[in-house]
Amino acid sequence: MKVSIEWLKQYVELDASTDTLTEVFPMLGMEVEGVESSGPPALEKVVVGEILSSEQHPEADRLSVCKVKVGEDSPDANIVCGATNFKPGDRVPVALPGAKLPGGFKIKKSKLRGVTSEGMMCSCKELELGEDHEGLLILEDRPEIGTPINDLFGDADVTFDLELTANRGDCLSHVGVARELAARFERELKLPTVESDAPTVSEPSSENPLNKVSVTTENCKLYCAWVIRDVTIGPSPDWLKQRLEAVGLRPINNVVDATNFILMETGQPLHAFDAGKIAGNEIIVRNAKAGETITTLDEAERTLNESMMVIADAEKPLVIAGVMGSVDAEVDDSTTDLVLEAAWFHPGNVRATSRKLNLSTDSSYRFSRDVDPQFTRFAARRAIDLILETAGGKLLNEEVQVGEPPRGDRMIEVTPAFIRDTCGYEVNEEEIAGAWKRLGFQVETGETWKVEVPSYRSEVDRPIDLVEEFARIHGTQSIPEARVQFEAVSRNDSPVFTFMERAADSLVGQGFQECCSYSLRDGKEIEAWHGKEVSAALALSNPLTAEHTHLRASLLPGLLDTLAHNYRNGNDLRRVFETGRVLRPGSQGVMEFASVAFSILTKPASREWKAEATPDFHDASRCAQRLLHAVGVKLPKDGLNPLAESSAWQGGQVARAGEIAKNRVQLTVGYCNLSLSRQKDLDGPVLCGELLVDPVVLRKKPKPARFESFGTFPHALKDLALVVSKNVSAEEVRAAVEKAAEKAAGDRFTVDSVRVFDVFTGKGVESGMKSVACAIRFRSDERTLKDKEVNAAFDEIQVILADTTDYTLRA
Amino acid sequence: MQEKLQAIVSETESALGSVEDMPGLEQLKASVLGGNGSLTVLMKSIASLPPEERPAFGQAVNKVKNHLAELFKNAVSDLNSAADAKALGEAVDVTLPPPGNYTGGLHPLTLATREVVSIFRAIGFTVAEATEVESEWFCFDALNTPEDHPARDEQDTLYFPAETRFGNVQGKADEAFVMRTHTSSVQIRTMMEEQPPIRVIAPGRCFRRDTVDATHSANFHQTEGLFVDRKVTIEDLKAVLDHFLRELFGKQVKTRLRPSFFPFTEPSFEVDLFSPNLGRLSNQWIEIMGCGMVDPAVFDQVGLDTGEWSGYAFGLGIERVAMMLHGIDDIRHFYQNDQRFLKQF
Repeated sequence: MKVSIEWLKQYVELDASTDTLTEVFPMLGMEVEGVESSGPPALEKVVVGEILSSEQHPEADRLSVCKVKVGEDSPDANIVCGATNFKPGDRVPVALPGAKLPGGFKIKKSKLRGVTSEGMMCSCKELELGEDHEGLLILEDRPEIGTPINDLFGDADVTFDLELTANRGDCLSHVGVARELAARFERELKLPTVESDAPTVSEPSSENPLNKVSVTTENCKLYCAWVIRDVTIGPSPDWLKQRLEAVGLRPINNVVDATNFILMETGQPLHAFDAGKIAGNEIIVRNAKAGETITTLDEAERTLNESMMVIADAEKPLVIAGVMGSVDAEVDDSTTDLVLEAAWFHPGNVRATSRKLNLSTDSSYRFSRDVDPQFTRFAARRAIDLILETAGGKLLNEEVQVGEPPRGDRMIEVTPAFIRDTCGYEVNEEEIAGAWKRLGFQVETGETWKVEVPSYRSEVDRPIDLVEEFARIHGTQSIPEARVQFEAVSRNDSPVFTFMERAADSLVGQGFQECCSYSLRDGKEIEAWHGKEVSAALALSNPLTAEHTHLRASLLPGLLDTLAHNYRNGNDLRRVFETGRVLRPGSQGVMEFASVAFSILTKPASREWKAEATPDFHDASRCAQRLLHAVGVKLPKDGLNPLAESSAWQGGQVARAGEIAKNRVQLTVGYCNLSLSRQKDLDGPVLCGELLVDPVVLRKKPKPARFESFGTFPHALKDLALVVSKNVSAEEVRAAVEKAAEKAAGDRFTVDSVRVFDVFTGKGVESGMKSVACAIRFRSDERTLKDKEVNAAFDEIQVILADTTDYTLRA
Repeated sequence: MQEKLQAIVSETESALGSVEDMPGLEQLKASVLGGNGSLTVLMKSIASLPPEERPAFGQAVNKVKNHLAELFKNAVSDLNSAADAKALGEAVDVTLPPPGNYTGGLHPLTLATREVVSIFRAIGFTVAEATEVESEWFCFDALNTPEDHPARDEQDTLYFPAETRFGNVQGKADEAFVMRTHTSSVQIRTMMEEQPPIRVIAPGRCFRRDTVDATHSANFHQTEGLFVDRKVTIEDLKAVLDHFLRELFGKQVKTRLRPSFFPFTEPSFEVDLFSPNLGRLSNQWIEIMGCGMVDPAVFDQVGLDTGEWSGYAFGLGIERVAMMLHGIDDIRHFYQNDQRFLKQF
């Protein structure tokens, strides 16, 4: 909102500089968005002069010597001049000796090439009145000789563009801002006096051009209509135009300008109707009918619905209440009789309507911030004074009023102790009461204080609100510096946060770069990765853009985007990860999971002097295992199992451990579906790992590990190579060998471990088969094992395997 | 005899010089010290000597034998060393870059979050978290933001369709779900789950229905702080924030609390920062975060007795902190993940 300092000075004595005000406004809670100066700067000793004669300078071709009359009683001045755009008889601005021009140039009596010059005739630019510096500013209106130049160009003014917080509707006017400045500088607030008045009636009399005024909606608590007859519509006087222009409004005519002036002065939006255009001479404040249309003053046809409120006549809506009027009842040059409306509309209703119509006006902005209903009548009377002054006419001696102001002054009980306890620093009672009184609050001290808050402060109604008012006016700079000091409480970081921290550290340690992608994705992308069902479940109801219609189900698409972006740009970034939250539909509704995902572009982007092995499934699997170990998340015992081809993953090259719906954790690792990486123009397959965790799992504190003793006797090692069908997994073979070994060892000794150390196909192994070699380690806690017993166990293992499997011993 | 001994020593010494490997060495050793070796044979000839010469001869042979044994031992060690060195190969060019040199790194937003969190951890705060999906009640109502408040408008907040239900995000009743617009909702979840005193810091991702440009992002990160205890004051709030901002931006920064408005705090302030070392933002008041005393209406919503408990809350944008700390001019850099950007931090 723009406020003019000159305008503010009507209501409060103000001598603070622009710089001071720039500091003061923010500390009152009003942010300064911009400061603009207008009008000429104060120019002393610059007056209107008339050039009486002009002669060539005896010593310089380009200069002339002029005789200039600068005042009735002043002697004519002799002035040397370089300009050529004038003739004797012209009137121009003359800076006399002692004047100081903008930019700091001081004028004094001096000699120019031997000729005395007693001042300077000025151009537009030299006076900062415009950009023209081509010649002297010729004053075509021929103002009185000797008139100070400032008198010709009106006052200098400074306009502040203030941004107000949503709770400070009371400051959306010059009076409101003046009230704050008055409190800050401890000055008196000077409200304008009003003269016009009329008795209040609930129904129009027979004198009234209106037959009826009725309100049929809850959202209008107070509606007042005044009538002025015989006005003459015309342009506003200059002072009024200047005021409006200073705050960015365009003058229209004396009546509209008067209501706009009052809007900016008091914050009360008013509306003037041409009484002759009100069909049926009836005003009805009602909810709009569904589908009802109105062409607003901005010449747009708008369709209304039942949640919106209108001011209507017997036939049609004339105004969208609190927002904008229509072309139908507009005051124009032919208007003679006015109906002036002053009302209080429900803030939420006006705000909703304004939002729905995407139409924000000075009026809707103020109504939606709760206009002071006790000030409505004052504002209307002030407007009437102004209309009578500028447009003539006569006020009908009645004010039709429907409803009552919905709120008035409020009494808050508070103790100074409460203020001190909340602030935490010492303040005396005079300071507390003083701050409130400066704001116009009434304070009655005693054991419990009674503070009466005027109706213009709709948001101050609790003791804590009074603390804010005190702190604001007393100034936050008086809050002393203090040490941080408080008792510790026992609590750990959120387990999800710790999980993410550990995951990130592990992956950075493994050479991955952390990335950060948008959570909002394109629905088509989610469908391509996870199918229609998932995509449908994660749709937003009001997305802003077509690329951001859904919430992410996985971190992987973002990682692929990152790989693709860097690949395109020739960056050598091939290992990336992200931690974050993702959504997945489940049987109980959509679930929010913690997720960690990484991607590896397998094809190197640049050549290296020594080729690095191309990463494969097992490299990704190792990264995932290290990650799991670092974050301490346990997967189900059966570990990684092959996963069938899906829209997201490449069949035969992917494995999964756990099912998120069942185990609350799920790890998937392998190649993402090649069609997805190809879509992103990634040259070569992308290995991915994705861990999903239900935060519930992380909240469980792990039990401390139990120590198990281990022997000091040496182990015995036996290798066993088995030929099995290619379809049998290595883990299946290993588990079978382990089971057989444990059985063979019985309770005589233990099987330390069984590990696959070789997988072979080719020469000597039948096609369709493979050889899997396991190393079996035996150990006893009590003694060194003898060859004989180890060999016996080894033989028995082979017998057991021959009995229980179709594996054959590799020859 | 003495000459013969001396001849064995010199022959062995010269032969050692041309030994190339262990088998050669073993062969040489056998030819001198073995059963039929030259020294062994010579030693056996002791019997042919007169008895009075035998002790001197024996001593001389032993001396030579020990000397040769020492030579052989050194030769073994030399051969092993040479074999080890050969196995390692030639001297490397240490200036070549290691292949596959991915150093990896944390994202600047993670670094900024960790920095902020660590400052607050040091004075007794711990991290709290809640979901990014929130119900309207937790995101707005409980935070004293009434239904017709502009912040709740569909133009600013991302809503899920009314029929979307969540399995692990509990609402209050059957209100709609939104993507949280601030981390302040974590205040509510924390106060409902934990008993005061509370000191938590809650970093997390937030969402506004904003068009992406240099200063706006469809999602962004905030850190919320909440302190609830008995007799908490504005002075306490200022002390903690002064401490935080000086730790983050340096001891020389000045701060001011500028009156402002948030529905969930009263009084509310914006915190402005004045620093000589902020690049083009130096030596002017810069808005850095919002704060205030927890509004009693919020305590009412979560069932805390306002007669006993009071507190303060604050929130700051992580992107803003990272941009100020590093002089980053466009918020989109954080989400584009260009390596040329990421590797700078």
